[in-house]
Order: sequence, then structure tokens, then C-alpha cells
Amino acid sequence: MSKLEYTSLDEIPKIHELLRAGFKSGKTRPVAYRKHQLLQLAYLLKDNRQRFRDAFSADFKRPYEESDMLEIDPSIGCVVEAYDSVAKWAARERAPFDQLWFAMSPAIRKEPRGTVLVVAPFNYPVLLLVNGFVGAIAAGCTVLLKPSELVPSISGLLAELLPQYLDQDLYRIVNGAVPEMTKILELKWDHIFYTGGGRVAQIISIAAAKHLTPLTLELGGKSPVVIDPGCDLNVAARRILWGKTINAGQVCLAPDYALVPKDFQDTFVAAMQRAFNEFFPTESPRPGVMSCIVSQQHASRLKRLVDETKGTIVFGGQVDVEQQFISPTVVKDVAGDDVLMSEEIFGPILPVVPVKDVDEAIEFINARDSPLALYVFSRDSAFKAKVFDNTQSGMAVANEVVIGMAVHGVPFGGTGASGHGYSTGKWSFDAFTHLRATFDNPSWVDTLIFNRRYPPYSVCLVA
Amino acid sequence: MSDLNALYTPLEKIPQVHEGLKKAFRSGKTRPIAFRKTQLLKLCHLVQDNLQRFKDALLADLGRPANETDFLELNGVLIEVKKAYDNVEKWASTEKPPFSLFWFSMSPHIRKEPKGVVLLISPFNYPVYLLLCPLAAAIAAGNAVLLKPSELCTTVAALLTELLPKYLDTEVYEIVNGGVEETTKILELPFNHILYTGNGNVGRIVATAAAKHLTPVTLELGGKSPCVIDPDCDVKVAAKRIMWGRLVNSGQLCISPDYVLVPKDFQDTFVEALKQAYEELHPTDPLKSGMLSRIVNERHVLRLKRLLDNTKGTVVFGNKVELSEREIFGPILPVVPVKDVDAAIEFINERDNPLVLYVFTRNRDFKKKVLNNTLSGTASINEVIMGCQAEGLPFGGVGASGYGYTTGQAAFNTFTHMRSTVENPTWADSLLLHARYTPYKSAPLRRLTWMLRPSIPPLPKD
Repeated sequence: MSKLEYTSLDEIPKIHELLRAGFKSGKTRPVAYRKHQLLQLAYLLKDNRQRFRDAFSADFKRPYEESDMLEIDPSIGCVVEAYDSVAKWAARERAPFDQLWFAMSPAIRKEPRGTVLVVAPFNYPVLLLVNGFVGAIAAGCTVLLKPSELVPSISGLLAELLPQYLDQDLYRIVNGAVPEMTKILELKWDHIFYTGGGRVAQIISIAAAKHLTPLTLELGGKSPVVIDPGCDLNVAARRILWGKTINAGQVCLAPDYALVPKDFQDTFVAAMQRAFNEFFPTESPRPGVMSCIVSQQHASRLKRLVDETKGTIVFGGQVDVEQQFISPTVVKDVAGDDVLMSEEIFGPILPVVPVKDVDEAIEFINARDSPLALYVFSRDSAFKAKVFDNTQSGMAVANEVVIGMAVHGVPFGGTGASGHGYSTGKWSFDAFTHLRATFDNPSWVDTLIFNRRYPPYSVCLVA
Repeated sequence: MSDLNALYTPLEKIPQVHEGLKKAFRSGKTRPIAFRKTQLLKLCHLVQDNLQRFKDALLADLGRPANETDFLELNGVLIEVKKAYDNVEKWASTEKPPFSLFWFSMSPHIRKEPKGVVLLISPFNYPVYLLLCPLAAAIAAGNAVLLKPSELCTTVAALLTELLPKYLDTEVYEIVNGGVEETTKILELPFNHILYTGNGNVGRIVATAAAKHLTPVTLELGGKSPCVIDPDCDVKVAAKRIMWGRLVNSGQLCISPDYVLVPKDFQDTFVEALKQAYEELHPTDPLKSGMLSRIVNERHVLRLKRLLDNTKGTVVFGNKVELSEREIFGPILPVVPVKDVDAAIEFINERDNPLVLYVFTRNRDFKKKVLNNTLSGTASINEVIMGCQAEGLPFGGVGASGYGYTTGQAAFNTFTHMRSTVENPTWADSLLLHARYTPYKSAPLRRLTWMLRPSIPPLPKD
């Protein structure tokens, strides 16, 4: 891995000042200019596809195909969607007709919030940066980007490419770790868009409170998978295993653990084994065929989970901390207080929790923090409705995992401990936009309607 | 004024109230739309049945004339609550996004779900409107609600505490009364949303407390709302509307015009118009006529007196006037002479984003220039205050004036989690998505890529 150059602490307030001046200059106001910058961003990604693939390979040993399919192409898609839609999103809206108010031309202007901060995590460091960045550009804000220091090749590449493609008066990158992030958080931002974990989210929220800064928090949690024995089991197993092996399970939307009826557990884990054999027919998974864990620290964390679980390992369980590689692992008979249930796994390990029935599954989920996604595999509408109607989660997904975030037209956002605010598509634009209501009251309105508001209040008007 | 201290909720009871609300929410009681509608209807009746008592309470707490209470508080509450009642089915219904060729097979939908247990903290100045309107939205969205009315309006708080259990389901809607100690206790607990209306200092405290639980927050704050005057305006109407806006509730209104910016050579003309407007509005000294509300308490009166005593401006009528850093929140109107509209814009931009920006002009270009070069929560042309109740407009601040929106459907959305749902049929894998599984095969991947990879328009030639 390459060594990432950190921005000097003195530079950070200067960059902030520069971005504020950039916003004040009014350069981002014309939609045409925002479109131009978005287009540049699309080319930044397209022109350098191979370099991004190589950087992902350097930081994660992620296969090129995975980087294309799950990061680079969706990122470009995100940019192009904003490019195509920004004029529509940014257009002033008229309030629907109302006979009392129409004479005052009520309308809603879409105003950029100002100078904003987008902080990205390590796992999908480009996609989850672009997700916020694109909304901010489209909204007309100036932006500071803070990529993750855990992926130095990617963050270094972004720092190198950004000045070549985008207007440096308006969009900047700061690289660094805790001291740099702390410095950034002392400054006043007009919105902070953070994707990552709950602990840092708290730190950011407290810092934001000092400046009355609004937030979007895209966090994670333990996304449960509820299995109905009547589901299409082979498809379910394949999809669940896919969700655990892409990026070695380091996905905020990864299926974290499975809830199955007790007497169905063995059937289920056998299906998982079959899916594993399909995914890796000739050789065991290894770095380059499957991604690695991002750091030794995280690999050690996962090793501890595997070592200390009281469940039974069905397959996998091999952890190489030095190589930062963990083979896909399924653990059955996991209890609610097992170490595997104590934190978001963020690795290719699937705990299987046997329960009595769907009611117990629902109770189990409700006893814990609201997850980012709730997955149900079932062909039975009543079963799905029961689970969804009696739980809370960011997203509710049936018979699929992960890709819900990519679906156009629906907002992506958590609830409770999984975060607040929404992103993707128009919702990213909205996050960085202030809806400024306007109305214009002609003089004659007082003669017609609103004259009674003025004192002196005559006696007959007093109810 | 009644003694609210007797009504203060004991500290140890507060977590119990919170637990009760959590349990009640979990029971699913608030999920059915019918339940929410019944509660909203009862809330309408709570206000309608007790109009005189509310007017008496506001007279007692703020010295506010009954007329003003009707027009600016009670009418507004009834409109918002009834609006929620009429629209809850529509607002709460699951939405379908526009058709998309690639994604339609996954039946994407957006469910509107209550966030859970929400906290409403309201201020003293419009203690009924600023509590019951968000309550209506929170009820419509299906939440359980903890209400914390202002302790500075003791009669109103006592009245609400008496009436709420008579009309609404107390398992899911509860009031907690108290001061700083009680509010601090409340803020230690986890909520699924907090709406705070008040000032920036307490706003920071609320946001910091919320941060510990990662609770989303809506802040309706205030600020210094400027009025920009174009000499080419209807001067008489402008002066009357501004004077009226400054004096309702004795200026204790977050959207009150806080100060006026006029071109230097127009100042005398405009001040004369303001004077005339004042005489029309209050031909009798307000101290005798009772047509002007009181300042809420002695601390605020002393604060305002200090502003007046320290001003370097020239008193035109009434009392001395000073421009301070803080929102005035009293019946004092500073007039600031500037060179021209550019100077006015600069003056505004050097300060915190106001909640409302007022512009008085007949000239479209003047209006456009001011709006395009400033940022404010809302912008009102040739009018003060009333736009906040305008149908279909979201009301909310920006920057130091707050964030989030609190009217109509925007308020409903504030207390709602939009839970996206998708469902992927089995055959999707056999058609295309099988390509995502290892071992990767180039032909299927190429097909998938062809569907997913967007075409990028060419760059314009420089």
C-alpha cells in the first residue's frame, strides 16, 4: 500500500476559508456550471478506471470485476443521474393552488446551504464519497471531501485527480486521520454528510451542535435476515452469501446475521455450504479472488469474534491476520448474547441464530437497535408483511440483499442508531439544499381580506 | 398567573413517563390511521371547546389582546390541526417512485413510518401554536409524543396540562412541566426526534444532548429578520405592515421584522410613514388601551431597557433605539440608513442567516437582486409574518436560524421515517443478476455491465 500524504493542520482552516470565498463568489449558482462540474467528475472516474481498479486492488485485493460492478460503475451512474436531473431538482417550485394564498404567489426556491463537509468511509470509499459529493455539487454548494485514511491508495488517487478535473475554488480534499478530522470539525460547516460508524457519528454530531450544523448520518448496524422455510432456499443462500463475500462483508448493508426456525437451521446451513461450493468450485477463496479486510486492526477484531464465539463453525473460520484475509464463515447455534452478536460484524462471517418462530425473530430484532436494512426471504406475502409491519429499519428488503441502495427513486437512509437523513438521487441533492419559501403580497390584499388584522381591534371582532 | 411549580413533574417521574411512551408506541397503538385521525379530531375540539379559556390564559401570561390571540394563534392552530386531520391518509400512504426500466421489477416503494417517541419543546411567545401544531404533525405521523411547554407561560402550561388528558390518549401523548432541571433530565433520555423552538443558545444544548443518542433534531430558531426598503414601494402599506409585524405580541415573535434598511436619503420619509402607521394602529396609548401585549417577564424587560439605554441612534418616537447583536424580541424597531441596495445586501450577509428576509418593493429586479444575493429561512415580499401559515410552503430556518421544516406535510415528514422497500423476484438472477456471483464469467458480466454502465455525454468543446 502506498503512503498517504496528510494535509497539514495549518492548511485546513485556509482551505475552509477558500471554499467559503468560493461559495460567496456565486460561481456555483448557475445550474450550467454545476452540470459542467458533474460531467468533469464523471470523466474523472471514467478516464481513470484502471487506476481505480489498481488502487482497490492495492488497498483491499479486491477483484477488478467487483470494483467495476459495485463501485466504479454505480459511482458514474450516480454522477450521470445528477447531471441529467439537476436542472429539474434545482428549479423553483410553486405551491399547489389554494384560494386563500394564491394571490401571494407562494413558491419554494432551492438554495444551496453553503460550504459543506462530506466524510467517506473506507469500505466503498469512492461510491460513498460520490453519493454525498454529487448531491452537494448539484445543490450548488462548495465542498470539502474527507476520504478515509484506511485506504491510502484510493485516497491518494482522489487527491491527485480532483485538482485535474474539478474547480479548485469550489471542491477540495483533505486527507488525514484523527488530528486532521478534529481540526476540520472545529470549523463551521453548513451541512455535514457522514457515512461511517456510530462512535465517530457521535463525535461529529457533538461538534456540529456547536455551530448548529445540520447533519446526514449514514451509519450501519446489524442488519438481520429473517428466513421463512418456504422461501426459495438456493436463491436465498446464494444472495446472502454474496452479501457476505463482496468486499469481504465490509458493507454497511451486508446481511449481518440470520434468524431461522430451530428445525430449519441445518437445512439452511447446508444450502449456505452449497452456495459456497458454487462460488468457489475449484479453489479456496484467497486474496485477489475475494477482498481482504482493510486493516490488521480490523482483522484482529474479527479473529477475536471467531475465536470467542460459542456457536458451531459450519465452514470457514480460517483467519490470517497478517494477510488480513478471512475465508467465508458460517456459524450456527449462535445465541443472542454471543460475541458475534455484540457488534456489527463487517466481515465475511455469518452467525445463524435459531429461534422458535417468526414472532421470536421479530422480538429478537426489536430488542436491538434499529438496523440499516431488514432482510426477509419468503414467498409468503403475509409473512413478509408481518415482519415489516412489526419492526423498524432503514430499508425493508425482501428476497435480496445490499443492492436496495442502488434502486432509483427510493431514499436510502437509516433510523435510530442506523442514522438519519437520506441520500442517493434527489435525496442527496435535498440534503444540501435549503427550501426557501417565498411569497409576494400585493397591497390590495389588505383591502380585501387581511384588514382585520390591524389594531385598534374593534369590540365586535373580539370573540 | 398560577403557580406552575406545583405542576412541575418530579424528576424521578420523567424517565417513567418516557418508558411508558416507549412501551405504548411499541404496542402499535398509533399505527392505524383511524386512531391518529380520532386523536387529531379530539385535538381540534380541545382547542375549539376552550377558545375563551386560551384567550384568558394568554391575556394572563402575556397581556395579549383576545383579537390577536384569535388571529395569530388559535386560528392558526385550528387550521394546522384540521389540515393534518384532512390529509393524514394521503401523507401516510405508501408512495411509488416513477417508473424505471431497470428497477421496476423490484417493486420499489416508500413506506411512511413513525419514528417512535418524539420530544417537542416549545417557547413562551406563541405557547399554544408552537406546541400544538407540531403535536398535530407528530400524531399524524404515528408517533408517541412527550410535550414540554414553556414554564414562562404558567397559565397556558397549566391549562394544557389540564386539558390534554381530557381529550387525548395519555398512553401515547404526555406533558412534562418544569424548568431547566426538568428539561435537562428529559434531554438525557433517548428520543427518535426532537423539535426545539426557541433561541440559538438552548438550541446548541438540545443538539448536543441529542448527539449522544444520534437523535435527529429540528431547530426553529430566530435571528434578526431584516426589512429591505426600496423607495419605489407602496410606502404607506409597507410602513403599516412593518409596524404591525413589529408590534404583534410586542415584538416577541421569531419572524417579527427586527430592523429596517433604507437608503440614507429616504430615511426621514420612511420614519414619518412608520410614525403615521403607529398612530393609526394605536391611536390610544397602549398602556391604557391594552392593545399591546406585555413583555413576558422582568428579565426580558430589563434586557430591552438595556438596549434602549445604550443605543446611539436617534429616538423618533416611543423610546430610544439600538442595534444589537442579538435578536431584539421586543417592540423596538431600529432603522439603519445605508448607501444603496448593495450596501443593504452586504450588511445582511455580514450577519447570521435570518429566519425571514423582508423586502418592500414594486420592482421585480430589485426583488430578484436581494433574493439572489442573500440566504434566509424564508423570504417575504411586501408582507410580514403571515407567509408562515401559507398553504404548501415549508417553514424553516437556515444557518443560525435553524434547520428542518415545521409546517404542513413538511412537518409530517419531519416526524416520519421514509422506509424504502424493494423485493427481488427469483428470476432476476437467471436473467441478468447471476453475473454478480463468482466465479466471474466475462459474457454474463458484459451483459450486466451493458445494462448498468451509463453513457456519459461528451464534454463541451472549450
